[in-house]
Amino acid sequence: MSKIHNKKIVIEVSNLRKSFNGNLILKDINFKLFEGESLAIIGASGSGKSVLLKNIIGLLIPDNGSIKINNINIVNLPRVAKENLLLELGITFQHGALFDSLKNWENIVFKVKNRKKLSKKDAGILALSIIKKLGLEPQILDLYPSEISGGMQKRVAIARAICGDPKILLFDEPTSGLDPVTGSLIDELIITAVKTVGGSAITITHDMASVCRIADKVILIDNKTISWSGTPKEMLKSKNSRIQEFIQSTNPKLFQ
Amino acid sequence: MTSFILNFWGSIGRKCLNFISLLGHFFLFFVQVISWIFRPPWYFKRILLQILDIGYFSLPVVGLTTFFSGMVLALQTYNGFTDFNNETTVARVVLTSITRELGPVLTGLMVAGRIGAKMAAEIATMKVTEQIDALGTLGTRPMQYLIAPKVIAAVICIPFLVMIGNTIGILGGYIIAIYKLNFNPNIYLYATVEYLQWIDIVQGFVKAAIFGLIISMVSCYFGYNASKGAEGVGYATTASVVISSIMILTSTYIITALFFG
Repeated sequence: MSKIHNKKIVIEVSNLRKSFNGNLILKDINFKLFEGESLAIIGASGSGKSVLLKNIIGLLIPDNGSIKINNINIVNLPRVAKENLLLELGITFQHGALFDSLKNWENIVFKVKNRKKLSKKDAGILALSIIKKLGLEPQILDLYPSEISGGMQKRVAIARAICGDPKILLFDEPTSGLDPVTGSLIDELIITAVKTVGGSAITITHDMASVCRIADKVILIDNKTISWSGTPKEMLKSKNSRIQEFIQSTNPKLFQ
Repeated sequence: MTSFILNFWGSIGRKCLNFISLLGHFFLFFVQVISWIFRPPWYFKRILLQILDIGYFSLPVVGLTTFFSGMVLALQTYNGFTDFNNETTVARVVLTSITRELGPVLTGLMVAGRIGAKMAAEIATMKVTEQIDALGTLGTRPMQYLIAPKVIAAVICIPFLVMIGNTIGILGGYIIAIYKLNFNPNIYLYATVEYLQWIDIVQGFVKAAIFGLIISMVSCYFGYNASKGAEGVGYATTASVVISSIMILTSTYIITALFFG
């Protein structure tokens, strides 16, 4: 992944705490994402990774703490200002979350078409140019999400996320449920997407091989908080028992 | 024994609190949706598609239901009112029953079953598959884009469906009266027109518009608040049909009492 040239902070999470009905999920979450940086968040299922992402994109409101995007705290930000700020983000959800009543091309250009009032023809051209970058066949544009494979759906979701060239990309388990070949293809797409957009990325994943491919920095969420952080190289050498468990359970060869 | 009584009342209390909480949530949802209906942008294409779905595609089911109800009503009235079995009595009972109650209520219940279930399932599926979350992150407000068009279309369409259903229901009664009971068509038609009152039509329209609001709001509410995957979608669909139907039957009494009480 590209080195960090500029140290401008694009996302800063400070003292974040989140609970549901008194059940504490996250506490004392602090991290910064710099411009041009790719951050991977790892952790066991149910450790609160997706909850953290939903706090960052404003779908959940933290009990405590601040979340700054481009130095603007989105917690308690007025609705319209928050909506405008979130337009700067490109997001893929864990299961793609493609609109199943819309064709793939309509999914890809959804945000841009509504914002810029593009004609159908221009929107189609834009969708075509994006899927070409991601190595998808033009034929899938006129199909519905249910008519293409899971791997293709993930790629269409990435295409939707990068449409409009957002500077911050957020991916929630982009390779989950995919075979290793498609998974590594998705990793390449993320790397390409981040490079293409020239921005920063946060990727939530369980896949250690994927972390090593795409990340500049890694944080581990364990026991409701960030229990470890470092680079992928440091991660491979880490004596942290949880990190070792993760690496050995997903890809033992990485540890050798 | 004491603990049993405490548990018993405690469980009733919890259910009451849950019910009040549900009412509060629904009221807030209702106010939010209404406020979004009056704020731009308006998604006219989506409203038109919903009008087509709710209005046009509900016509067969509404037509069949009211047609057979009108036929049954004519037959039963004839059998039940043997001492007064003349054209005017049957025509008047069919007309009044259809325009005041059966037309709006049967249309409301049919639309609740067909459209309410569809709305709830569609929105609930979008909710549990994170499509609604995705919509919010793509610069589109889910209430404005998904729910407001459905509510607008339902409130516009159902009064027209009721009007068509009423006409078909009266026609059903006419066919039975003329071809089975051998009534004089001129007298029957004259009686139908003579007893037709504006207040019946207005009341039917008001009921239908309120039923449209009830069906769309209840269905969208349960869909929008669905959770727990496929089970949640099933619950939202069932709850939307059951609650809409109960509210239709309750509100029809209240509206009737207000107009004719």
